Formats: sequence, structure tokens, C-alpha cells
Amino acid sequence: MKKVTFVFVLLIIALLIACAPTPTPVPPTKAPEPTKAPVAPTSAPQPTAAPKPTEAPKPTTAPAPKGAWVDEVVFFEEPDSNKAVSMIEAGDMHLFGFGISDGKIYAKLKDSKNAAYDFSYGSTSELTFNPAGPTFKDGRLNPFSVPAIREAMNMLVDRNYIAKEIYLGMAMPMYTVINPVFPDYAKTADVGRAIEIKYAYDVKKAKEVIDAEMKKLGAELVSNVWNYKGAPVNIILIIRTEDERRLIGDYVAKQLEDIGFKADRQYKTAAEATPLWMTGDPAEGKMHVYTGGWISTVVSRDLANNFTYYYTARGRSDALWQGYKVSPEFDKISERLTRRDYKDVAERTQMFAEAMNLSMKDSARVWLVNRQSLNVHRPEVKAAVDLAGGTSGSWLWPNTINIGGKPGGTVRFGAPSILSTVWNPIGGSNWIYDSMIFRATGGLATVSDPYTGLYWPYRMDKADVTVKQGLPVGKSLDWVTLNFAPTIEVPKDVWIDWNPEKQQFITVGEKYTQTLTANTKTVMTYNKDLFKNKTHDGNTLSAADFVLGMILTFDRPNDKSAIFDEAPVPAFKSFLTNFRGWKIVSKDPLVIEAYSDTFYPDAEEIVRNRDVYPYYAQGIGLWHTMSLGVQAEAAKELVFTSAKATKLKVEQTNYIGGPSLKVLEKYLASSTDKSYIPYAPTMGQFVTAAEAKARYENLGKFYKDRGHFWVGDGPFYLHQVRSTEKIITLRKFADFPDPADRWLRFAEPQIPAVAVSGPSRVTVGQVADFSVKVTFKNQPYATKDLDFVKFLIIDATGNLALTANAKATKDGEWAASLTADQTNKLAAGSNRIEVIVVSKLVAKPTFESMSFVTIK
Amino acid sequence: MASGVLTEKALSRPKIGIRIPDTLARIGKYVLYRSVALFVTVVIGVYLTVLIVNMGGYLDTIRIAQIREQVGAGVLGDPTLQTLPPSELRKHIDELVVLEVQRLRLDQPFFVRSVDYLVDALTLNLGRAEIMTSNSGSKQVRLILLERIPATLLLSASANLSLFFGAIFVALFLSRRYGSWLDRIVIAMAPSSTVPAWFYGIFLILIFASLLHILPFGGMVAAPPPESTFDYTLSLLKHMILPVSAIILHGIFVSIYQWRTFFLIYSSEDYVDMAKAKGLTARTIERRYILRPTLPPIVTSFAFTLIYLWQGAIILETVFAWPGVGRLLYQAISIFDVPVIVGNVVLIAYLLVTTVFLLDIIYALLDPRVKVGGERRA
Repeated sequence: MKKVTFVFVLLIIALLIACAPTPTPVPPTKAPEPTKAPVAPTSAPQPTAAPKPTEAPKPTTAPAPKGAWVDEVVFFEEPDSNKAVSMIEAGDMHLFGFGISDGKIYAKLKDSKNAAYDFSYGSTSELTFNPAGPTFKDGRLNPFSVPAIREAMNMLVDRNYIAKEIYLGMAMPMYTVINPVFPDYAKTADVGRAIEIKYAYDVKKAKEVIDAEMKKLGAELVSNVWNYKGAPVNIILIIRTEDERRLIGDYVAKQLEDIGFKADRQYKTAAEATPLWMTGDPAEGKMHVYTGGWISTVVSRDLANNFTYYYTARGRSDALWQGYKVSPEFDKISERLTRRDYKDVAERTQMFAEAMNLSMKDSARVWLVNRQSLNVHRPEVKAAVDLAGGTSGSWLWPNTINIGGKPGGTVRFGAPSILSTVWNPIGGSNWIYDSMIFRATGGLATVSDPYTGLYWPYRMDKADVTVKQGLPVGKSLDWVTLNFAPTIEVPKDVWIDWNPEKQQFITVGEKYTQTLTANTKTVMTYNKDLFKNKTHDGNTLSAADFVLGMILTFDRPNDKSAIFDEAPVPAFKSFLTNFRGWKIVSKDPLVIEAYSDTFYPDAEEIVRNRDVYPYYAQGIGLWHTMSLGVQAEAAKELVFTSAKATKLKVEQTNYIGGPSLKVLEKYLASSTDKSYIPYAPTMGQFVTAAEAKARYENLGKFYKDRGHFWVGDGPFYLHQVRSTEKIITLRKFADFPDPADRWLRFAEPQIPAVAVSGPSRVTVGQVADFSVKVTFKNQPYATKDLDFVKFLIIDATGNLALTANAKATKDGEWAASLTADQTNKLAAGSNRIEVIVVSKLVAKPTFESMSFVTIK
Repeated sequence: MASGVLTEKALSRPKIGIRIPDTLARIGKYVLYRSVALFVTVVIGVYLTVLIVNMGGYLDTIRIAQIREQVGAGVLGDPTLQTLPPSELRKHIDELVVLEVQRLRLDQPFFVRSVDYLVDALTLNLGRAEIMTSNSGSKQVRLILLERIPATLLLSASANLSLFFGAIFVALFLSRRYGSWLDRIVIAMAPSSTVPAWFYGIFLILIFASLLHILPFGGMVAAPPPESTFDYTLSLLKHMILPVSAIILHGIFVSIYQWRTFFLIYSSEDYVDMAKAKGLTARTIERRYILRPTLPPIVTSFAFTLIYLWQGAIILETVFAWPGVGRLLYQAISIFDVPVIVGNVVLIAYLLVTTVFLLDIIYALLDPRVKVGGERRA
């Protein structure tokens, strides 16, 4: 027995040693010294509780440091939200990257002194109906084939109950397809509010409509149960089990049972439910109602396509969608909105209002709530949180994360899962938690405002956008100039296509004999000092980094290319339908012209979509690091995308670990020896052999120190990857050029606080003046930062009597006045004034109301 | 139990002077029959796993539906595609779906793929995962499993081997003190083992991490990981304390109870009483007359403990965010990554049949009454 014990002890020691890391030299914090290289060319959503005030970072008296605020960010896995909150309270974690929607955790956090939170609002819950019928193939009745019954379902469900009792306050009622925290809702808030009043919870009214329609269908109520052809009408509810939708399903089933239906509750996970609700033939009747849910990870500024997507057969090719039959009126207007067929913003708003009302008439979906998610963190730690995507969806978290507003420190960042798959900029991990991490390692030309979705310039000085006259495009920010022109001709020397054999771009002049035109022309002027910016391996950016991205856009989907890949072909075909060319106007400073037929309502978004900064779909990629992957793919030793890797049975390129590193290392050595320039006939115009050699040499030093090839130009560099332990360490990049406080204003959403005051009694026929105070942290909200302040009057009958704009009297103070004529139209009784405040700084509108009595 | 297929030679001692060629032939024949039987068992077990994991082929329907859902959502979230005409957009989605369906070979009949799964599994060509990757980014199932096994073995071996030997030592001790207060306490605590280890884990986290803040909440090492091997090992040990304790707490009382009862049965044999009567020391009696005859079941139990070590603890590893095989299997099941699930099952199946096979041999070595291959009774 002693021997066995001895062996056991030896085994444990051996395992401990096996699991311990191989001692590696401690890398220096600073990036390696570079080799000197020549410089290369709602209902009304109920006023929700404002986020718990957390101690704002106190401004330091010393100037803000250069680069990131903190020295180090360490990411690790924690799949359990409850445990993550406990860890934050205990100080073992500073931030949790997952948006928590658990009402019990919310209740706990409200009283916590050691944890704070910010809200995000990207998730919605709804009921999806099967529109097939009126009978299924087997003769069963489908009541939801009748739009009027679906419409009545809006009044059969109590959204306030769902928000307060099922989601425990972690949701706000939602009536239309337009997310109530996105800019489009704010623009049509009065329409939305009218809809909310019209479709408020009213079982009696719902039952009346449903009863009448059921009788028209030939059903009869027998002993309070609806029967059709002698059999009870059985409603199959596919109820998702993973979250609160289980309770929603039970609630809806009970509501249906209360009005005479039999409910067949079928509890399913996502995987089990999808073939039943989405891809199964609706006419087979495997479901009547499905408890749906949708997630948006960014603040979308244009939801015009939502009507087409969620209600019409054009939305998707799946079986359920093919069952959608909408009224010709709704079909036309949703299609026009999708095509952006409107002349200006006013017409768009009017079409939007019409579509919102028509969507309620159709109600192929009944929207229930907009879910709130908690982004939990230590009170002293602040970082920009995206209004829709939360912390994990924020592009500015690396630039804003700080501890108490002071430089330095280590932030411990938890996430449910990290290192889910390989990292490579083209086809690597698209998991939100991996993206959240590698986002910190790359720069961008423009960056999304976490609270409005508008794009701000990051590595771009300015952009000039010219749009074909008549297209409904506007702009909000000064860095973009917007002009209109009757026609936009594409110059002959613009790159329009690619010859993979000659490895050269084909110009418009070479490809077309006729004049080519475009809907938009965008001239992007990048930062004057852009090419002085260092990369993590000690190199400097160059125009070649941009050009390689352009080449790969064309080369990868081309079947004559050495790195042909089927995966990008469909997207490339779509891209080609609107692409009208690129032209490099100036190499340094870099100025690029882009021509395209695609346009967006915001000129800022047009620029963002034309930008060719070397930040690929899945992270930053500089030409010399991409070159190694391209060579490995050409030799079929590694490939960028998962689909091709499976097909060829080779490893997918991974720049941060695994078997890929040896292959990339081999190509680094050969590239250094040969001063290799990929796609030399084109790239050779932007990089010399000496520059190439210097780049590879610096990369070699970087690889020796760090053990990976993930090189970027962001505020943090990838210091260490521990794949088994699932720990990633980012460290502050000392040569990052921006001051730390550049984006600090985004560290906290400036959601306005609104207070309404005024007379509690109003005499009909007399003027009534109400006062609206708009503040943020008890300071007046600047008038210039507010988009508008509207007020609605809900009269004593519960109807919307009036919508009007309030007027600013001074910063933070607005007047909402009712004229004598307006009060004259109000009946005597209890009325309510509801104020909608929409800020330019945060897309989410704020609502406040007060009641008043009208007397004669 | 393996002993069920063994031939026991009643009460007599083995015959001396067996004819070697006969013995070899007998052993050879037995080995052959046994190997074939175990192989057939593995084939059936693995194919059943393939069928179950694939829900008899229905998983294809689910997978295709999931692909459609994910592709559709991806396209909806891509602003660059939103200006395409709806017919183009739908065509785009369909093309992406076809690519993914082809990648996963869902366009081929399930039966063909199920045979491929089986052949690959039996030849230990574990193939490539469909969705998951190893921590270092490889899609090879072999690498995915190999990366996780050390972490699981470390945790599982520390806990289960401690539990195994600890329980035997304490059981022996208690069997000598039958009816003492300590014995009664342990027996009374035996039902506590019905509580799963992960449940103890949550309590231990609450007490030692959340409340007292003296041990970590989970993970394998501190984040950031210590640079030196010594500090890393210390951190690793610190992170092992709670999960190991949870496993031990879960199993210790019932294990002691089982072994103690087992030893008590053997302690009351006539030959033990005879040994006592002869005046042998308690230690000698324990070693020669109690432990030795109980060795085959102990070895069997030990062998199965060793197999168990490789499986990992699905929920416990998730509770402690321990990057082991159990957590891997949980993730693979959640996303229906069939090759990873089958690979894991094949690994365990081969370990199991090898162990069963070896146990047959070891039994014969340990217990003179047991003979491999059977023998006609005289």
C-alpha cells in the first residue's frame, strides 16, 4: 500500500509539472525596439430606473497620459453570472463582459456597495405566429391565419406584467418592431405612443375581436371551449426554455385558455425549436405560436428594413417567411422603405409612421418587451458601454477603461467564454467575447458612438461625401461634408477589378468603354501623421497595409487565385453589384476616393462603409503579418476560413497559437531572407524590398518576445495567451499616439433626467404652461445637445389628443405650452402630459409625465 | 463485472505441473474470444453513441435549421448587404447556407456519415471537429482532447485517488473500531454522498471565496498567471483546493461506508478467527487475511477509478471554470459537435475494454482460485 501511495504522489507531482508552464523569459513591457526602416509610402417605455449612479472618475489634475489609462487588462473565463457578480463584489473581477438579464441579480445589485452597473438594451422578446391557413394540411384550424386575431393578441397580453413580474423589472414594454432605444423610435415616438395607447392591455376588447373572427371561421364555443368541426381548437405553443421566455409562454398559454382555447405547451431549446418554427412547413401546423427573441449588438440608426424582414416573404427564404401574406399597402411601403425610396427625412418619417400602424394590423409578430441587460463592474472602474451591445459590443472600451480616473493599474475582465476558436483577421473568431478583446489591439478609421451609433473619426481627418441628387442622405457631424451632384462619373483610372494572374488592379478605363457612374463618391483623408504611428512590433503603418486589404477583397473570391476560397464568394458578388471603384489620390498623407452605388441615410455611415483601414472582419491585419498567412494558404498548409480548412483537411490559420505558429514562423524566415513582397506587381508600388525586410525583422523580434503573430496598432498589445487556462493578457502600448482622455466623454452615457411641472388644474379654454427640466447629474442639459423635446396630451378618454414640440427657454429648461384653442378641445377630467426628450448624445429617449385635471 | 466470465476453480488449489502448450493454447483462445467480444461491444457502443448523438439522423434537420437561422441573422446584421434587392439577399443567404451544409457534409445521407464516424472512431482517427477548436486553435479532435486531458487528470486524479486511498485507510481503521462513535458518525454521514460534488462546490465557493475570501472562485490559475514555475504551481494548487475538496466531500463517506462493510465481512471469516486464535498480530491478520483476499475487488475498483479520471466532471468543471474534458464534453453536447462527443466516448470505450481485459489477467495473478480461459472440471 505504501508503494501505491508513493506512486500516487509521484503521479500528482508529474501532473503538476506537466501542467505548469514552460518557463519563458519575461518579456519587456515595452514593444521591441524597431529596426530602423525607411519610411514607406414604447409604451412609452415606462420611465426606467436610471442606471445606478456610480462614482464618476475624478478628473486628475495632471494631464491625461498618452495611450490607454490602465497598464494591463487580463481576461479570463467565468461562465456563471451569479459567480461573476460575487467576484466583482469581492474585488476578484473588475468587469464582466456579459449582459446579465436576471432580475434577481438586479435586485441584489441595487443594494450593493461594491458593484455598479450600466444598462444596455439590445434584446427583444416577441410572439411569432404561424400565418398558414385558415386550416392546416390535416384540417386543423389555425386562428392566427387571420390578421385581426393576431392584432387582437396585442391586447390579450399584458406587457407591463411581463416586464415587471416575469423579467422582474429588467425589461420595458415594446409594441412595435422598432426598438424603443434606437434613434428611429425617437423620431417617431409620438406615433409609437399612440400605438401603445391603442393596443394597451384589454382582455375584453381582445376577446370580442377574437370571438367574432372565430365565428366567421366556423368555430363554435362549446362549454367555453372553441371547437372546430367537432374538435377543440388546440393551440401549439413552442416555448423556449433557456430564459424568461418559458414563463412568457406559460403566461400566453393561460391567456389563450382563459378565452376558450386549448393550449399545448411544448417546451423546446433553441436547437429543437428552430426546425418547428422557422424551417418547418407552416402548413403542417407544428406550431401556432413561438416565443421568439432577437438580439442587436450595435445601435442601428436605420431600422427601415425591419418591416420587410420581420413581416414579408421577402425578409427571408425560410419556410415560415414564405407563408407571410401582407396587405398590398404594407407590402409596398415596407418595400419602399427597404429600397430607401423616399425623397427626404420628413417623407421617411411619415412612411415609417404608416408602416408602424400597418405592422400592427398585420401582427405576424406581437412584440412584447425590450430587455435590459446589466453590464456589471466595480464602482471605481469605468468603460464605454454600447447602448445595444453592452460592454462586449463597445468599440471604445479599450480607449475609455480606467480605474478611478487615474492612470495605471490592472483590470481583471471576466467573460463567459474566450479563445473560442482561432484568431485571424479574415476568418478567425467572430465570437463577441473574442472580438471584444482583439478590438483593443487595432486602430480604426472611424468608430461607432456607443450611445447613438453615429461614426466619429478616429484615424481620419475628414471625409467629403458627394451623393447623387435626390437620394435621402443627411449628415450630423462636422468632420463630414456632404454635397449633392446631378451625376457622379467614375474616373477612368479608378481601380474596379483585379487580375489575379498579373496581380494587378484593372481600371475603369480598361474594363469599360462607356462612362461609369455611381450614386456616391467619398473622399477620405486619413490623419496627416498616420504613417508615423507605430505598430506593436515597432514598425510604422503604411499605404501598403491599406492596399493589401483591397487586393484580398478581390483575390480570395477569384477562382484563378492561388488562395481562392468559396466562402467569401457570395458576399463578394453582393459587393460587386454596388462597387464602383477605389482610387489612391495621395500616398502620404493618405487620401482615398471610393465610388459606390450603396448609400445610407447618414453620410457618416457611408464613409464608414467605404473606409479601407486594415481592420478586417475579425481584427487588425498589417500587410507583413497577412503576407505570412497568404503564403501559407497558397501552399495549402494553413487557410484563413473554417469552411476551406474543413474541405482541405488542413489547419485554420491562427496567429496566436497552436500548430499554425510553426508554419507562420517558417514563412517569416523565408520572407525575411527574400524581403518578400506579396502581390509584388501592385504592392511593389507601395513598399520597397528594404522596407519589407525591416518589417519582417521587427516581426521576428516581436514573435521571439511574445510568441505570437497578432500585431496591431491599438491602445493595447497582446502580451500573453494562455490557451489552456483561458487567460489573455493585454498590455498598454507605450507608443499609442492618442491622449487617454480623447474618448473619455463616452465613458458614461449622458441619459437625460427629466422632470415635468405645471398646473394640476387647467381650465378648458385657457392657456396652460408646463415646465420641463432636463438635466444630467443635476446639471442643465445643453440645448445644443438635445435633438428635440416633444410633449403629448393624453385626454380623459385615454386617447392621444395632441402632439407638439416644447421650446427651449435656456439650457436645461423647456416650455410645453397649451394654447387656449388646444385646451378647449380637452374634455373635463383627468389628463396626462407626457414628455419625450431625445438627446443627440444618447439614442434612448427619456419619458416623463404628469397628470392634470381639466375643468370647465 | 469481469469476474462473471471467469471460471472459478471451486475450492481446490491450482494444479501443479500444467502442460505448457495446453495452457498457452487455452490462454490464446481465451484472449482471442475475449478480444472479439470486447471489440464487438465497442463497435455496438460507439455506433449507438453515433446514433444517439445524431438523434438517429434528426440532428441533420436541426443543424440545417440552425445554419439557416444563423446565416439569416448574420446577413441581417450586415449593413453592407441591406441595400441588395430582397431576391438577391435571399439568394445570398441560400448560397451561404449551401456552403455551410456542404462543409458539414449534411448534404450526404446520414447513414453514410454514421458509418464514416464509426470507422474513424474504431481506427482512432478521431477526425476534425465540426465547430469546436482546441485551445490552441486546431480542429483535430485528438488535439482538442489531448489539451484538456492533463487538466482533468490533475483535478480528477488528485481528488479521486485521494478519495480512493483515504477511504480504504479510514475504512480499515473503522472496521477495527466497529460501533465506535467515529464509526457511527461516518455511517450517519454516508447519505450525504447523494449530494453531487458540484453542489458542495457551490457551497465551498460561497464560504471560502465569497465570504472569507481566502480561496479563489475558480479557474485553473490566477489571472494573470504567475511567470515562474514555482509560483505557477502554488497558484495551481491553491485553485485545486476547492474542487478537489468538493469531490472528496461528495464521495468520502459513502466510500468509507462501503469499504468498511466490505472489510467487516472479510474480518468475520473463519480463517480470520483462526488467525486470531493462533495469536497473530492485528497488523499481520489485516495484511494477510483481510487485505489480500479483498485485493481483486479493490483492484477492480481502482481500475475503474482510473478510467473515471479521464472523463472529467461535467458540472463540477463548469462550476469551477476548470478547463477539463468534462467541460469540453458539456460544450460539445450543447452545440452538437458530434466528432468531439464520439471522440470522447471512443477514448473512454477503449480505456474501458482494455481495463476489463487486463483485469481478467490481473485477477488470475492475484487470486489463485481464478483461472483465465476456463478449464474442464476434473
